[in-house]
Amino acid sequence: MKSVKKHYSLLIFVILGILAASRMATAQESTLSAEDRKTMDEFETRAKEYSRMRESLEEKLPKLAKEATAEQIEAHKLSFQKMVQEARAGAKQGDLFTPAAAQLVRTIIKTEFGGKDGAELRKKVLEAETKGVPVKVNLPYPDSKEQVEMPPALLLVLPQLPKQLRYRFVGTNLLLLDRENSLIIDYLTNALP
Amino acid sequence: MKRIYYILLVFTLVIYGTAPAAVQAQKSSPQTVQTTAPSLTLPVREGSVKFMAVGDTGRGNREQNELAQVMFQYRRLFPFDFVLLMGDNIYYQESAEDMKTKFENVYRPLLDGGVKFYASLGNHDESNQRFYAPFNMNGEEYYRIEKGGVSFYALNSTYMDKRQLTWFENELAKDTAKWKIAFFHHPPYSSGKRHGSEDEIRVFLEPLFIKYSVDVVFTGHEHFYERIKPQKGIYYFVTGAGGEVRKNNIKKNSPLTEKGFDADLSFMLIEIAGDEMYFQVISRTGATVDSGMIKLSS
Repeated sequence: MKSVKKHYSLLIFVILGILAASRMATAQESTLSAEDRKTMDEFETRAKEYSRMRESLEEKLPKLAKEATAEQIEAHKLSFQKMVQEARAGAKQGDLFTPAAAQLVRTIIKTEFGGKDGAELRKKVLEAETKGVPVKVNLPYPDSKEQVEMPPALLLVLPQLPKQLRYRFVGTNLLLLDRENSLIIDYLTNALP
Repeated sequence: MKRIYYILLVFTLVIYGTAPAAVQAQKSSPQTVQTTAPSLTLPVREGSVKFMAVGDTGRGNREQNELAQVMFQYRRLFPFDFVLLMGDNIYYQESAEDMKTKFENVYRPLLDGGVKFYASLGNHDESNQRFYAPFNMNGEEYYRIEKGGVSFYALNSTYMDKRQLTWFENELAKDTAKWKIAFFHHPPYSSGKRHGSEDEIRVFLEPLFIKYSVDVVFTGHEHFYERIKPQKGIYYFVTGAGGEVRKNNIKKNSPLTEKGFDADLSFMLIEIAGDEMYFQVISRTGATVDSGMIKLSS
Protein backbone atom coordinates (compact mmCIF):
# COMPACT_ATOMS: atom_id res chain seq x y z
CA MET A 1 0.00 0.00 0.00
CA LYS A 2 2.86 2.33 0.96
CA SER A 3 4.73 1.62 -2.30
CA VAL A 4 1.54 2.25 -4.36
CA LYS A 5 1.13 5.62 -2.63
CA LYS A 6 4.80 6.38 -3.32
CA HIS A 7 4.38 5.57 -7.02
CA TYR A 8 1.29 7.75 -7.31
CA SER A 9 3.16 10.64 -5.66
CA LEU A 10 5.99 10.19 -8.13
CA LEU A 11 3.55 10.13 -11.04
CA ILE A 12 1.89 13.34 -9.87
CA PHE A 13 5.32 14.94 -9.46
CA VAL A 14 6.27 13.98 -13.04
CA ILE A 15 2.99 15.29 -14.45
CA LEU A 16 3.45 18.58 -12.61
CA GLY A 17 7.00 18.81 -13.93
CA ILE A 18 5.80 18.33 -17.50
CA LEU A 19 3.12 20.96 -17.01
CA ALA A 20 5.68 23.40 -15.59
CA ALA A 21 8.01 22.84 -18.53
CA SER A 22 5.26 23.39 -21.08
CA ARG A 23 4.22 26.55 -19.30
CA MET A 24 7.80 27.83 -19.37
CA ALA A 25 7.87 27.34 -23.11
CA THR A 26 5.09 29.89 -23.47
CA ALA A 27 6.31 32.00 -20.56
CA GLN A 28 7.35 34.81 -22.82
CA GLU A 29 3.86 35.19 -24.26
CA SER A 30 1.95 34.71 -21.04
CA THR A 31 4.03 37.23 -19.00
CA LEU A 32 3.75 39.97 -21.60
CA SER A 33 0.89 42.38 -21.24
CA ALA A 34 -1.19 43.13 -24.30
CA GLU A 35 0.59 46.45 -24.60
CA ASP A 36 4.03 44.81 -24.37
CA ARG A 37 2.96 42.25 -26.95
CA LYS A 38 1.96 45.09 -29.27
CA THR A 39 5.31 46.84 -28.66
CA MET A 40 7.18 43.65 -29.43
CA ASP A 41 5.18 43.03 -32.62
CA GLU A 42 5.83 46.57 -33.80
CA PHE A 43 9.55 46.22 -33.14
CA GLU A 44 9.66 42.97 -35.07
CA THR A 45 7.77 44.64 -37.94
CA ARG A 46 10.32 47.47 -38.09
CA ALA A 47 13.15 44.91 -38.08
CA LYS A 48 11.50 43.06 -40.99
CA GLU A 49 11.09 46.34 -42.88
CA TYR A 50 14.82 46.97 -42.56
CA SER A 51 15.49 43.41 -43.69
CA ARG A 52 13.33 43.84 -46.80
CA MET A 53 15.03 47.13 -47.62
CA ARG A 54 18.53 45.76 -47.38
CA GLU A 55 17.58 42.65 -49.37
CA SER A 56 16.27 44.82 -52.19
CA LEU A 57 19.60 46.71 -52.19
CA GLU A 58 21.68 43.55 -52.05
CA GLU A 59 19.88 42.20 -55.11
CA LYS A 60 21.47 45.02 -57.11
CA LEU A 61 24.94 43.70 -56.29
CA PRO A 62 26.58 40.69 -57.98
CA LYS A 63 25.48 37.67 -55.97
CA LEU A 64 28.10 36.50 -53.51
CA ALA A 65 28.89 32.83 -54.10
CA LYS A 66 28.83 30.38 -51.20
CA GLU A 67 32.44 29.59 -52.11
CA ALA A 68 33.88 33.03 -52.63
CA THR A 69 37.39 34.36 -52.48
CA ALA A 70 38.46 36.71 -49.72
CA GLU A 71 38.63 39.54 -52.30
CA GLN A 72 35.04 38.90 -53.42
CA ILE A 73 33.77 38.84 -49.83
CA GLU A 74 35.56 42.07 -48.96
CA ALA A 75 34.33 43.84 -52.11
CA HIS A 76 30.75 42.69 -51.57
CA LYS A 77 30.73 43.78 -47.93
CA LEU A 78 32.11 47.25 -48.68
CA SER A 79 29.75 47.88 -51.62
CA PHE A 80 26.78 46.65 -49.63
CA GLN A 81 27.79 48.80 -46.66
CA LYS A 82 27.94 51.91 -48.84
CA MET A 83 24.54 51.23 -50.43
CA VAL A 84 22.79 50.77 -47.08
CA GLN A 85 24.56 53.75 -45.51
CA GLU A 86 23.34 55.95 -48.36
CA ALA A 87 19.82 54.56 -48.21
CA ARG A 88 19.70 55.17 -44.45
CA ALA A 89 21.53 58.51 -44.44
CA GLY A 90 18.92 59.96 -42.11
CA ALA A 91 18.78 56.97 -39.76
CA LYS A 92 19.14 57.72 -36.09
CA GLN A 93 19.18 56.01 -32.73
CA GLY A 94 15.64 55.04 -31.74
CA ASP A 95 14.35 54.27 -35.24
CA LEU A 96 13.85 50.64 -34.20
CA PHE A 97 14.41 50.91 -30.45
CA THR A 98 11.57 53.36 -29.90
CA PRO A 99 11.14 54.49 -26.29
CA ALA A 100 8.50 51.78 -25.72
CA ALA A 101 10.64 49.08 -27.33
CA ALA A 102 13.70 50.24 -25.42
CA GLN A 103 11.83 50.05 -22.13
CA LEU A 104 10.50 46.60 -22.96
CA VAL A 105 13.90 45.19 -23.97
CA ARG A 106 15.58 46.58 -20.85
CA THR A 107 12.90 44.96 -18.72
CA ILE A 108 13.26 41.63 -20.51
CA ILE A 109 17.04 41.64 -20.00
CA LYS A 110 16.69 42.60 -16.35
CA THR A 111 14.11 39.86 -15.76
CA GLU A 112 16.22 37.23 -17.49
CA PHE A 113 19.50 38.29 -15.93
CA GLY A 114 18.74 39.41 -12.43
CA GLY A 115 21.09 38.51 -9.60
CA LYS A 116 24.15 36.32 -10.04
CA ASP A 117 23.54 35.63 -13.74
CA GLY A 118 23.39 39.35 -14.41
CA ALA A 119 26.68 39.95 -12.64
CA GLU A 120 28.36 37.21 -14.69
CA LEU A 121 26.95 38.52 -17.96
CA ARG A 122 28.05 42.04 -17.08
CA LYS A 123 31.57 40.81 -16.27
CA LYS A 124 31.85 38.91 -19.57
CA VAL A 125 30.54 41.83 -21.64
CA LEU A 126 32.70 44.47 -19.97
CA GLU A 127 35.86 42.34 -20.24
CA ALA A 128 35.38 41.78 -23.97
CA GLU A 129 37.62 43.41 -26.55
CA THR A 130 34.99 45.88 -27.70
CA LYS A 131 36.53 49.15 -26.59
CA GLY A 132 36.69 51.50 -29.52
CA VAL A 133 33.55 50.19 -31.23
CA PRO A 134 31.82 53.39 -32.40
CA VAL A 135 28.33 53.08 -30.98
CA LYS A 136 26.63 55.12 -33.67
CA VAL A 137 23.88 54.30 -36.15
CA ASN A 138 25.02 53.65 -39.72
CA LEU A 139 28.68 53.12 -38.83
CA PRO A 140 30.29 49.71 -39.35
CA TYR A 141 31.19 47.43 -36.48
CA PRO A 142 34.97 47.08 -36.79
CA ASP A 143 36.15 43.61 -37.78
CA SER A 144 39.09 44.11 -35.43
CA LYS A 145 36.77 43.91 -32.41
CA GLU A 146 35.27 40.75 -31.00
CA GLN A 147 31.56 40.04 -30.98
CA VAL A 148 30.58 38.82 -27.53
CA GLU A 149 28.43 35.71 -27.57
CA MET A 150 24.77 36.26 -26.78
CA PRO A 151 23.27 34.04 -24.08
CA PRO A 152 20.86 31.62 -25.77
CA ALA A 153 18.32 32.12 -22.96
CA LEU A 154 18.19 35.83 -23.74
CA LEU A 155 17.85 35.29 -27.48
CA LEU A 156 14.77 33.16 -26.82
CA VAL A 157 12.93 35.95 -25.01
CA LEU A 158 14.05 39.06 -26.87
CA PRO A 159 12.02 40.20 -29.89
CA GLN A 160 12.81 37.80 -32.70
CA LEU A 161 14.94 39.17 -35.53
CA PRO A 162 15.20 38.32 -39.23
CA LYS A 163 18.24 36.10 -39.83
CA GLN A 164 20.31 39.00 -41.21
CA LEU A 165 20.17 40.96 -37.96
CA ARG A 166 21.99 40.30 -34.72
CA TYR A 167 21.92 41.58 -31.17
CA ARG A 168 25.36 42.26 -29.70
CA PHE A 169 26.46 43.84 -26.45
CA VAL A 170 29.11 46.54 -26.53
CA GLY A 171 29.79 47.81 -23.04
CA THR A 172 26.40 48.47 -21.51
CA ASN A 173 24.81 49.05 -24.94
CA LEU A 174 22.80 46.54 -26.94
CA LEU A 175 23.43 46.91 -30.65
CA LEU A 176 21.40 45.77 -33.64
CA LEU A 177 23.87 44.69 -36.31
CA ASP A 178 23.55 43.63 -39.91
CA ARG A 179 25.61 40.43 -40.03
CA GLU A 180 26.68 40.85 -43.68
CA ASN A 181 27.44 44.56 -44.08
CA SER A 182 28.38 44.93 -40.37
CA LEU A 183 26.45 48.19 -40.00
CA ILE A 184 25.00 49.27 -36.69
CA ILE A 185 21.30 49.59 -37.44
CA ASP A 186 20.26 50.89 -34.02
CA TYR A 187 21.34 50.60 -30.40
CA LEU A 188 20.00 50.73 -26.88
CA THR A 189 21.92 52.35 -24.04
CA ASN A 190 21.99 51.08 -20.43
CA ALA A 191 20.86 47.65 -21.56
CA LEU A 192 22.82 45.64 -18.99
CA PRO A 193 21.20 45.09 -15.60
CA MET B 1 88.09 66.63 -18.00
CA LYS B 2 87.83 66.82 -21.74
CA ARG B 3 89.09 63.22 -22.01
CA ILE B 4 86.45 61.99 -19.58
CA TYR B 5 83.80 63.85 -21.56
CA TYR B 6 84.89 62.25 -24.82
CA ILE B 7 85.04 58.79 -23.24
CA LEU B 8 81.51 59.23 -21.90
CA LEU B 9 80.30 60.51 -25.26
CA VAL B 10 81.78 57.55 -27.13
CA PHE B 11 80.40 55.14 -24.51
CA THR B 12 76.89 56.63 -24.85
CA LEU B 13 77.01 56.51 -28.63
CA VAL B 14 78.13 52.89 -28.58
CA ILE B 15 75.35 51.85 -26.19
CA TYR B 16 72.52 53.70 -27.93
CA GLY B 17 73.88 52.84 -31.34
CA THR B 18 74.08 49.10 -30.88
CA ALA B 19 71.14 48.48 -28.52
CA PRO B 20 68.40 48.92 -31.18
CA ALA B 21 70.32 46.70 -33.54
CA ALA B 22 70.62 44.03 -30.86
CA VAL B 23 66.89 44.17 -30.14
CA GLN B 24 66.11 44.05 -33.86
CA ALA B 25 68.39 41.05 -34.30
CA GLN B 26 66.61 39.26 -31.48
CA LYS B 27 63.19 40.04 -33.00
CA SER B 28 64.05 39.04 -36.53
CA SER B 29 65.73 35.72 -35.90
CA PRO B 30 63.16 33.26 -34.56
CA GLN B 31 63.89 31.36 -31.43
CA THR B 32 65.18 27.91 -32.20
CA VAL B 33 62.40 25.46 -31.38
CA GLN B 34 63.58 22.22 -29.82
CA THR B 35 61.81 19.60 -31.86
CA THR B 36 61.03 15.98 -31.15
CA ALA B 37 61.05 13.59 -34.10
CA PRO B 38 57.45 12.75 -35.14
CA SER B 39 56.15 9.65 -33.42
CA LEU B 40 52.65 8.48 -34.20
CA THR B 41 50.46 6.66 -31.69
CA LEU B 42 47.52 6.31 -34.08
CA PRO B 43 46.92 2.95 -35.83
CA VAL B 44 46.52 4.40 -39.39
CA ARG B 45 44.04 1.79 -40.54
CA GLU B 46 42.81 1.59 -44.11
CA GLY B 47 39.39 3.14 -44.61
CA SER B 48 39.37 4.94 -41.26
CA VAL B 49 38.24 8.56 -40.88
CA LYS B 50 41.35 10.67 -40.36
CA PHE B 51 41.24 14.33 -39.40
CA MET B 52 42.84 17.11 -37.39
CA ALA B 53 41.15 19.42 -34.88
CA VAL B 54 42.56 22.79 -33.87
CA GLY B 55 41.19 26.10 -32.68
CA ASP B 56 41.96 29.78 -32.23
CA THR B 57 44.54 29.73 -34.96
CA GLY B 58 44.27 32.91 -36.99
CA ARG B 59 47.10 35.18 -35.85
CA GLY B 60 49.59 34.84 -38.67
CA ASN B 61 52.35 34.88 -36.09
CA ARG B 62 55.55 32.92 -35.81
CA GLU B 63 54.12 30.42 -33.34
CA GLN B 64 51.15 29.54 -35.55
CA ASN B 65 53.54 28.98 -38.43
CA GLU B 66 55.84 26.81 -36.34
CA LEU B 67 52.91 24.67 -35.22
CA ALA B 68 51.87 24.34 -38.86
CA GLN B 69 55.32 22.96 -39.72
CA VAL B 70 54.76 20.20 -37.16
CA MET B 71 51.34 19.50 -38.73
CA PHE B 72 53.02 19.06 -42.13
CA GLN B 73 55.54 16.63 -40.65
CA TYR B 74 52.80 14.55 -39.06
CA ARG B 75 50.71 14.51 -42.20
CA ARG B 76 53.45 12.51 -43.88
CA LEU B 77 52.89 9.79 -41.29
CA PHE B 78 49.14 10.27 -40.82
CA PRO B 79 47.47 11.41 -44.07
CA PHE B 80 44.46 13.18 -42.58
CA ASP B 81 41.87 14.29 -45.13
CA PHE B 82 40.28 17.22 -43.39
CA VAL B 83 40.60 19.69 -40.52
CA LEU B 84 37.98 20.95 -38.06
CA LEU B 85 38.47 24.56 -36.97
CA MET B 86 37.03 25.58 -33.58
CA GLY B 87 36.58 29.25 -34.33
CA ASP B 88 38.64 32.42 -33.93
CA ASN B 89 39.91 31.45 -37.33
CA ILE B 90 41.02 35.00 -38.16
CA TYR B 91 41.89 37.47 -35.43
CA TYR B 92 41.25 41.19 -35.76
CA GLN B 93 41.18 42.53 -39.35
CA GLU B 94 39.70 40.25 -42.00
CA SER B 95 40.84 41.90 -45.21
CA ALA B 96 41.76 39.73 -48.18
CA GLU B 97 45.39 40.17 -47.20
CA ASP B 98 44.67 39.06 -43.63
CA MET B 99 43.00 35.89 -44.88
CA LYS B 100 46.25 35.08 -46.68
CA THR B 101 48.67 35.84 -43.85
CA LYS B 102 46.53 34.34 -41.08
CA PHE B 103 45.27 31.28 -42.91
CA GLU B 104 46.08 30.54 -46.57
CA ASN B 105 49.82 31.10 -46.43
CA VAL B 106 50.16 29.30 -43.09
CA TYR B 107 48.43 26.11 -44.23
CA ARG B 108 49.35 26.27 -47.93
CA PRO B 109 50.97 22.79 -48.02
CA LEU B 110 47.79 21.27 -46.55
CA LEU B 111 45.50 23.17 -48.91
CA ASP B 112 47.64 22.24 -51.91
CA GLY B 113 47.66 18.64 -50.68
CA GLY B 114 43.86 18.52 -50.94
CA VAL B 115 43.12 18.77 -47.24
CA LYS B 116 39.72 20.38 -46.63
CA PHE B 117 39.12 22.75 -43.75
CA TYR B 118 35.69 22.94 -42.10
CA ALA B 119 35.32 26.00 -39.93
CA SER B 120 33.05 27.00 -37.09
CA LEU B 121 32.78 30.63 -35.95
CA GLY B 122 34.23 32.20 -32.82
CA ASN B 123 33.81 35.56 -31.13
CA HIS B 124 36.60 37.02 -33.28
CA ASP B 125 35.07 35.86 -36.56
CA GLU B 126 32.76 37.78 -38.87
CA SER B 127 29.70 35.96 -40.16
CA ASN B 128 30.94 36.53 -43.73
CA GLN B 129 33.58 33.84 -43.20
CA ARG B 130 30.80 31.41 -44.05
CA PHE B 131 31.23 32.45 -47.70
CA TYR B 132 34.98 31.94 -47.72
CA ALA B 133 35.65 28.97 -49.98
CA PRO B 134 38.56 27.40 -48.05
CA PHE B 135 36.36 27.17 -44.91
CA ASN B 136 33.80 24.98 -46.67
CA MET B 137 30.83 26.33 -44.73
CA ASN B 138 28.62 26.48 -47.83
CA GLY B 139 27.27 29.86 -46.83
CA GLU B 140 25.94 28.64 -43.47
CA GLU B 141 26.93 29.55 -39.91
CA TYR B 142 26.02 26.03 -38.78
CA TYR B 143 25.95 22.88 -40.88
CA ARG B 144 26.41 19.15 -40.94
CA ILE B 145 28.89 17.08 -42.92
CA GLU B 146 29.33 13.35 -43.12
CA LYS B 147 32.65 11.59 -43.52
CA GLY B 148 32.91 7.81 -43.65
CA GLY B 149 29.68 7.32 -41.73
CA VAL B 150 30.56 9.88 -39.05
CA SER B 151 28.34 12.96 -38.62
CA PHE B 152 30.06 16.22 -37.82
CA TYR B 153 28.00 19.20 -36.67
CA ALA B 154 29.53 22.67 -36.87
CA LEU B 155 27.65 25.04 -34.57
CA ASN B 156 27.83 28.79 -34.04
CA SER B 157 28.12 29.22 -30.28
CA THR B 158 28.39 33.03 -30.52
CA TYR B 159 24.74 33.29 -31.56
CA MET B 160 22.77 30.23 -30.54
CA ASP B 161 19.25 31.39 -31.33
CA LYS B 162 16.01 29.44 -31.65
CA ARG B 163 16.56 28.99 -35.37
CA GLN B 164 19.87 27.20 -34.82
CA LEU B 165 18.69 25.09 -31.89
CA THR B 166 15.65 23.96 -33.86
CA TRP B 167 17.81 23.08 -36.87
CA PHE B 168 20.26 21.15 -34.67
CA GLU B 169 17.55 19.10 -32.99
CA ASN B 170 15.82 18.35 -36.29
CA GLU B 171 19.08 17.15 -37.82
CA LEU B 172 20.01 15.02 -34.82
CA ALA B 173 16.56 13.45 -34.73
CA LYS B 174 16.97 11.98 -38.22
CA ASP B 175 20.69 11.18 -37.95
CA THR B 176 21.48 7.46 -38.04
CA ALA B 177 25.28 7.79 -38.10
CA LYS B 178 27.22 5.56 -35.74
CA TRP B 179 29.37 8.45 -34.46
CA LYS B 180 28.01 11.95 -33.87
CA ILE B 181 30.51 14.70 -33.24
CA ALA B 182 29.85 18.38 -32.57
CA PHE B 183 32.43 21.15 -32.89
CA PHE B 184 32.12 24.82 -32.03
CA HIS B 185 33.91 27.59 -30.20
CA HIS B 186 32.74 28.02 -26.60
CA PRO B 187 33.40 25.03 -24.31
CA PRO B 188 30.50 23.67 -22.25
CA TYR B 189 33.15 22.30 -19.90
CA SER B 190 36.51 23.91 -19.24
CA SER B 191 38.96 24.42 -16.39
CA GLY B 192 40.27 27.68 -17.78
CA LYS B 193 40.98 30.58 -15.46
CA ARG B 194 40.33 33.08 -18.26
CA HIS B 195 36.92 31.82 -19.40
CA GLY B 196 35.83 28.55 -17.76
CA SER B 197 32.78 26.47 -18.59
CA GLU B 198 30.18 28.22 -20.71
CA ASP B 199 27.14 27.36 -18.64
CA GLU B 200 24.66 29.30 -20.81
CA ILE B 201 25.64 27.20 -23.82
CA ARG B 202 25.75 23.91 -21.90
CA VAL B 203 22.25 24.33 -20.52
CA PHE B 204 20.86 24.25 -24.05
CA LEU B 205 23.23 21.87 -25.80
CA GLU B 206 23.90 19.14 -23.25
CA PRO B 207 20.28 17.89 -23.15
CA LEU B 208 20.38 17.57 -26.93
CA PHE B 209 23.74 15.79 -26.83
CA ILE B 210 22.34 13.29 -24.33
CA LYS B 211 18.97 12.82 -25.99
CA TYR B 212 20.46 12.17 -29.43
CA SER B 213 23.64 10.34 -28.39
CA VAL B 214 26.31 12.81 -29.44
CA ASP B 215 29.58 11.07 -28.63
CA VAL B 216 32.35 13.68 -28.76
CA VAL B 217 32.50 17.48 -28.59
CA PHE B 218 35.48 19.56 -29.73
CA THR B 219 35.72 23.22 -28.72
CA GLY B 220 38.21 26.07 -28.51
CA HIS B 221 38.11 29.59 -26.99
CA GLU B 222 40.48 28.66 -24.16
CA HIS B 223 44.07 28.87 -25.41
CA PHE B 224 45.23 25.50 -24.18
CA TYR B 225 44.44 21.81 -24.53
CA GLU B 226 42.20 19.99 -22.08
CA ARG B 227 40.62 16.54 -22.16
CA ILE B 228 37.61 16.68 -19.89
CA LYS B 229 36.52 13.64 -17.86
CA PRO B 230 33.47 12.12 -19.59
CA GLN B 231 30.38 14.05 -18.65
CA LYS B 232 27.17 12.00 -18.76
CA GLY B 233 28.90 9.64 -21.18
CA ILE B 234 30.09 12.36 -23.56
CA TYR B 235 33.73 13.19 -24.25
CA TYR B 236 34.71 16.86 -24.39
CA PHE B 237 37.96 18.28 -25.69
CA VAL B 238 39.22 21.86 -25.58
CA THR B 239 41.71 22.39 -28.40
CA GLY B 240 42.18 26.14 -28.56
CA ALA B 241 45.96 26.54 -28.70
CA GLY B 242 46.40 26.76 -32.45
CA GLY B 243 47.81 30.29 -32.55
CA GLU B 244 48.63 31.21 -28.98
CA VAL B 245 48.85 29.52 -25.60
CA ARG B 246 47.71 31.01 -22.33
CA LYS B 247 50.31 29.51 -20.03
CA ASN B 248 49.32 28.14 -16.62
CA ASN B 249 45.71 28.89 -17.36
CA ILE B 250 44.23 25.50 -16.44
CA LYS B 251 43.02 25.51 -12.84
CA LYS B 252 45.06 23.09 -10.79
CA ASN B 253 43.14 20.15 -9.32
CA SER B 254 40.06 20.89 -11.40
CA PRO B 255 37.58 18.01 -11.01
CA LEU B 256 36.94 18.26 -14.76
CA THR B 257 40.45 17.66 -16.07
CA GLU B 258 41.48 14.23 -17.25
CA LYS B 259 44.54 15.69 -18.98
CA GLY B 260 45.65 19.25 -19.60
CA PHE B 261 48.47 21.00 -21.43
CA ASP B 262 48.98 24.74 -21.25
CA ALA B 263 52.72 25.09 -21.75
CA ASP B 264 52.72 25.46 -25.53
CA LEU B 265 50.61 25.48 -28.68
CA SER B 266 49.05 22.19 -29.76
CA PHE B 267 46.71 20.41 -32.17
CA MET B 268 44.85 17.09 -32.25
CA LEU B 269 44.99 14.23 -34.70
CA ILE B 270 42.00 11.89 -34.64
CA GLU B 271 41.30 8.57 -36.28
CA ILE B 272 37.92 6.81 -36.18
CA ALA B 273 37.96 3.15 -37.10
CA GLY B 274 34.75 1.23 -36.48
CA ASP B 275 33.79 1.60 -32.84
CA GLU B 276 37.08 3.15 -31.79
CA MET B 277 38.27 6.74 -31.85
CA TYR B 278 41.99 7.27 -31.39
CA PHE B 279 43.47 10.66 -30.65
CA GLN B 280 46.92 12.15 -30.32
CA VAL B 281 47.75 15.67 -29.17
CA ILE B 282 50.97 17.20 -30.42
CA SER B 283 52.75 20.34 -29.27
CA ARG B 284 54.69 22.96 -31.16
CA THR B 285 57.90 21.12 -30.40
CA GLY B 286 56.48 17.91 -31.86
CA ALA B 287 56.05 16.21 -28.51
CA THR B 288 53.00 14.05 -27.80
CA VAL B 289 51.21 15.55 -24.83
CA ASP B 290 48.19 13.27 -24.74
CA SER B 291 46.88 10.22 -26.56
CA GLY B 292 44.26 7.56 -26.09
CA MET B 293 41.29 5.68 -27.45
CA ILE B 294 37.57 6.19 -26.92
CA LYS B 295 35.24 3.28 -27.45
CA LEU B 296 31.81 4.01 -28.87
CA SER B 297 29.25 3.38 -26.16
CA SER B 298 26.57 0.88 -27.12
